[in-house]
Amino acid sequence: MNSSLSSLYLFQSVFNPLNSFTRLAGNTPAPGRVLMRFTLWLLLLPPLFSWIGGYLFGWRLGAAEPLMFPAATLTLISAAYFVILVFGFVTTAIISRWMAATYGASDAAGLHFALIGIVGEPLALASAAHLFPDVFFNVLVMIPAMIWSMYLLYTGIPVVLGIPPERGMLMASALVGWLLVAAVSLLGLTMGLWVAGIGPALAV
Amino acid sequence: MATGQKYYYDEIVRQLVLFSVFWAVVAMAVGVYISAELIWPTIDFGQPWLSFGRLRPLHTNGIIFGFGVSALMATGFYSVQRTSHVPLFAPRLAWFVCYGWQLLILLGGLSLLAGWTSSKEYAELEWPFDIAIAILWVSFGIVFFGTIATRTIKPIYISNWFYGALIIVIAMLHIVNNLAIPVSLTKSYSIYAGAQDAIVQWWYGHNAVGFLLTGGFLGMMYYFLPKHSGRPIWSYKLSVVAFWAFTYSYIWAGPHHLHYSAIPEWVQSLAVVMSLILLAPSWATMVNGVMTVSGAWQKLKTDPALKFIVLSLAFYGLATFEGPMMSIRAVNVVSHFTDWTIGHVHSGALGWNAMITYGTFYFLMPRLVGAELYSVRLANIHFWLALGGTMLYIISMWAAGVSQGLLWLSVDETGELSYSFSDIMASMAPYYALRLVAGLVFLLGTMLMAYNFYMTVRGRATVKMQPPAVDPVYGMTSEDATVGALRVGTLGAST
Repeated sequence: MNSSLSSLYLFQSVFNPLNSFTRLAGNTPAPGRVLMRFTLWLLLLPPLFSWIGGYLFGWRLGAAEPLMFPAATLTLISAAYFVILVFGFVTTAIISRWMAATYGASDAAGLHFALIGIVGEPLALASAAHLFPDVFFNVLVMIPAMIWSMYLLYTGIPVVLGIPPERGMLMASALVGWLLVAAVSLLGLTMGLWVAGIGPALAV
Repeated sequence: MATGQKYYYDEIVRQLVLFSVFWAVVAMAVGVYISAELIWPTIDFGQPWLSFGRLRPLHTNGIIFGFGVSALMATGFYSVQRTSHVPLFAPRLAWFVCYGWQLLILLGGLSLLAGWTSSKEYAELEWPFDIAIAILWVSFGIVFFGTIATRTIKPIYISNWFYGALIIVIAMLHIVNNLAIPVSLTKSYSIYAGAQDAIVQWWYGHNAVGFLLTGGFLGMMYYFLPKHSGRPIWSYKLSVVAFWAFTYSYIWAGPHHLHYSAIPEWVQSLAVVMSLILLAPSWATMVNGVMTVSGAWQKLKTDPALKFIVLSLAFYGLATFEGPMMSIRAVNVVSHFTDWTIGHVHSGALGWNAMITYGTFYFLMPRLVGAELYSVRLANIHFWLALGGTMLYIISMWAAGVSQGLLWLSVDETGELSYSFSDIMASMAPYYALRLVAGLVFLLGTMLMAYNFYMTVRGRATVKMQPPAVDPVYGMTSEDATVGALRVGTLGAST
């Protein structure tokens, strides 16, 4: 388990998740190890792709001309994006562990970190769409990725955390509630940053 | 008015559920059609009655008052009988409310198609209909509170507090907001003007969301979730605290719809503060629901209805967080007038209101006719269609809304706006196409449910149920009964 976290998780968990979940259930990785050796690198992808795409093509929101940004602004946006993603990942894993007692699930922190990491994988990989930051194109790519992530969440919880599927469904739904709130918080926070001057020039 | 009948009046409940499902299909179909009009504007075929401006209020009124209120009347009548251990008070009046309300929705809808409108959002119906609404609503209140007054069990269960707040507050909002001077049968003018009109309108508009689409449906949740899961509410005390906190704080929040307008800034600020405070009672209720259902996981194996209720709580959490967040000025300046607001409304309307109602109806219909649901498989398919449709709707409107907000406010190096309004709107077509697909998926699920219910109730009579014996510990004493009789006498005389 400790020998190669990435080989266990990355492609195997996306394309053969049940096998990956079963193997994970038999091992309890340390949360710090999951974060430092695996998730942190995965979370670097979306801001990196976003920076490259924004620099090369500009943000394409549907209107005639793309919004172009200087490299310094893009770096600020990507840095904020990375910090928010790491914060979102860690808080989701902690909340998942906090919920475990209610649903009779394992409370081993490493399992929750690893599970949430796997659930986020499709979204992190699909963020390659940021290389061409046309919003509608990104929406089209991210929706199937999100569906796959939700599938991983609903199927992963019972196996990894050792609870019946019905109880897993309840816990996964509670986490979906949290993730929806987190997603809309991300939107709200972004608006706040834009209005504060980090991002595009707005007439506010 | 009392008839001495010993059975619950569930025939009225059954009729109201069927009407509610009917209006859901009709009003959602209208919603799908107008979402298509935003992509292909010419499909109004030059007909005024098919124009977006007339069909949009038909969609919103049909959903809120046709689908939503019929569902609230049905579940309110069902639960108040059982929590009071008596049949409905004034059953003829209840039948009048049931059919009168449907006639009102039908004729009111036709009047909107004909172009009669007061132009107040969610209160578009003209003055003759407003008077009819007031009469029917007060009648609804007499039946509801009369049943509580004649109860044989002392405690008034928490669901009745929410239904009661719905009835009282909506009556107050409706009457105050619709005070107008008629100039003809089809046209009236509000007695309010300018900023006052706006404040009164959004005091009404936001609290219609609060006390009808939130409070009323919380009443539904507080009765049917424990019944469904076979477990008591996780914390009854929390439900009571949340009720009073919710009732106190919601009523102030309306002016957050009027940021950056001519109304006083302190009114806007007060609305933001109260909107943020609202998060506490809203989430207290969500936690209460989630914890109640968490102990009933075994039921998920066989019961598709519970899934709807579980997911509805997640979307309730989302919508009640998103609303206060959007009331913050730094967010509102970008989100206001964009499709993000439409997405927010639908995360509540589809994810919360429709899902909790569907879950409740799937629980209710088989019990009303004493039969198994026609098809559990269809109900499971409906669940995934409802979830998929809601998610797709929200995501498409989030992306469209944020793009709109950003494009509208973008300035170039000279300080001029970078993009024209018409260019921005033209670029929204792909998102609207996604939204159309989402609406179709959700509508398809609702139609499957309608078919499932039709096959379940077809040819079956409503089961007659009697109130159970009351535990003497909770029964009314002779003194309570005397006070109750006095109340009934007063209410009965007024009908």
